[in-house]
Amino acid sequence: VKARRRVVTTPGRAVKPKRTPTIRRAKSAIVPATPASTAPRPTVPRSPAAGTGTGSSSGAAISSPGSTGRASGTGGSTRSDRTVDLSVDLAPRRGGLVLANPILVASGTFGYGIEYGDVVDVERLGAICCKGTTLKPRVGNMTPRVTETPAGMLNSIGLQNPGVDAVIERYAPIWQRWQTPVIVNVAGESIADYAEVARRLDGVPGVAAIELNISCPNVGKGGLQFAIDADAAGAVTAAVRRVTDLPVLVKLSPNVADIRPIARAIEDAGADALTAINTLSGIAVAPDRRRPLLGNVFGGVSGPAVKPIALRVVYEVCQVVDIPVVAIGGVTELADVLDFLAVGAVAVQVGTAVFADPTLPVRLVGELSSAAAAAGHDSYASFIGTALPRQPGTPSAKGVEYRP
Amino acid sequence: VTMRLVSAELVDSREILPGQWLQAFHAPALASGTRAGQFIHVRAGDWSGLVLRRPFSFNTVDLGTGIITIHFRTVGRGTEWFTRLRAGDTLDMLGPLGRPFEVDSRSRHLLLVAGGLGIAGVRMLADEAIRDGRQVVLLFGAASARDVYPSSLLPDEVEYVVATDDGSLGHHGFVTDLVPAYEAWADQAFACGPGPMLRALARLATGRRERLGVAKLGRKRGGGRPIQIGSPRARRKAFLQVSMEQNMGCAVGACLGCVVMSVTGTPQRVCREGPVFASDEIAWESGW
Repeated sequence: VKARRRVVTTPGRAVKPKRTPTIRRAKSAIVPATPASTAPRPTVPRSPAAGTGTGSSSGAAISSPGSTGRASGTGGSTRSDRTVDLSVDLAPRRGGLVLANPILVASGTFGYGIEYGDVVDVERLGAICCKGTTLKPRVGNMTPRVTETPAGMLNSIGLQNPGVDAVIERYAPIWQRWQTPVIVNVAGESIADYAEVARRLDGVPGVAAIELNISCPNVGKGGLQFAIDADAAGAVTAAVRRVTDLPVLVKLSPNVADIRPIARAIEDAGADALTAINTLSGIAVAPDRRRPLLGNVFGGVSGPAVKPIALRVVYEVCQVVDIPVVAIGGVTELADVLDFLAVGAVAVQVGTAVFADPTLPVRLVGELSSAAAAAGHDSYASFIGTALPRQPGTPSAKGVEYRP
Repeated sequence: VTMRLVSAELVDSREILPGQWLQAFHAPALASGTRAGQFIHVRAGDWSGLVLRRPFSFNTVDLGTGIITIHFRTVGRGTEWFTRLRAGDTLDMLGPLGRPFEVDSRSRHLLLVAGGLGIAGVRMLADEAIRDGRQVVLLFGAASARDVYPSSLLPDEVEYVVATDDGSLGHHGFVTDLVPAYEAWADQAFACGPGPMLRALARLATGRRERLGVAKLGRKRGGGRPIQIGSPRARRKAFLQVSMEQNMGCAVGACLGCVVMSVTGTPQRVCREGPVFASDEIAWESGW
């Protein structure tokens, strides 16, 4: 591959992409920055590495005529002059959820957006996913509820929240004042619960979208989680879809044998986007070894420890759905963001890392912009899907029946 | 004072008792405006592999020099990591967090009760009380003499009474055994320590007013108003305030990891409504 790359580096010749990366969902997901694409493009200094093109830059969803050409420049020094388009639409089917950047904060780690006060400038985040919200108030699980685990943590809060009405009354007026969209995470124990919460959130100023937490026991199906059953996952998505015009994101659970049929069922049921992944089921043992540590015994593992699993799930899901996928799972630095973009995610959520480093999400926005500029991209979209398989039609990528 | 992220430089670190460390940091931004009972959430280094911050009570705060100290026991990887720090190393601290102890302006006699490492939770209150001209008795309980907090680290004005489980120093028995002797003397009591100790103290505190025959004289200001859980007034009016401990995630009230059950049936966040609660706000027998 290296040798071939050198061969095509002919000065003055536009480099042909080696392949067409699979980015069909990215195409629909990214909103082209209208003013930038119509305005005359500034001369783009490119580093030789970017100019030779490994295929990643040509995979830009918004490819402009100028982007493949080699412009002469001194390189590097004018990076900061470039404006990189970081905007993304997470509901391209309805054109309703445009974020200024693809860095979100994950549900449960950022409360209702107000807790970090002056420490975090929420206006610079792509979006905020609030704490899981249910129809009725919930007191949550017994303590202890959190503990640290190798390269991660375990939590079992048990969806403590004041109920959807209180959330709307207390927080929506605050959210309304922000530019940053707030995505309300919704949980329930029956399809009717989900639909009712969604119905009450519909049309509330300050609520930009709904994210369905389907990793809850379905009381109507004997406590089986919605997330592990394609029919149930599709049914709850469809029910919510019917009662609201808000963009609907559905958060996938990794605790399943094969995520792909579930992801497809949710897409078919009318979801606007998928988020992946929720926490992995796990337990910890108390220091005295006489009982499990958590009050609820079972908890959800998150943090850097789950990143490879999240990458795999996003990689699989991105090949079988056309709607945007938002990745979550162990993002602690820019490299993690780029990894998730490479396997097809259009945006990422930062969760556990916020606890150690509350300013990380805002910093990642700047770093992503710089990384795109340094690579000579006009949009971060060029990073999306570069690691997906070349031929999306092969069984290893598409077929549910085949699994290595 | 609102919380902020501060970079603090370690100036001194020593093992004051077996497995217990006292570390001093230069952090003027945290020293000013901090009150006894509040805490900081400290991040271990990026390379440590630890994904959660660690909460520490302010042990002492020196406004003049901008030095704050924390006191902790090595219980796991996190605290082990902290002991390996050298002078000059800097740590990322989030604080001040939580709500402080509230001392009624009329209280002259303060009873402080600490169990083991709980001393770290009430230590700063002794400084504040003495500064304000109040009398302080500190009851301290430990397993044995080797774990007893050195009196040299306390202000001279504090009357220091020790109990040890094995009788190797001071009273032979629990620190809670010492409390009834001071019940009448104390205007307010403040405690930090293991859960069973706090529960025992809460039991002792209920009905104290009736036992002592204390009459409530004068016009009760705002007497008809229900006392809000977590409010400064609720703590100021209580005889016993406790500093609670719980596994903590974010420490700003976002993750709801560190709750304790209140008498109203709503879990209260130790990091936000606490860590200091009036003892009668906590549902001690709820099993949480």
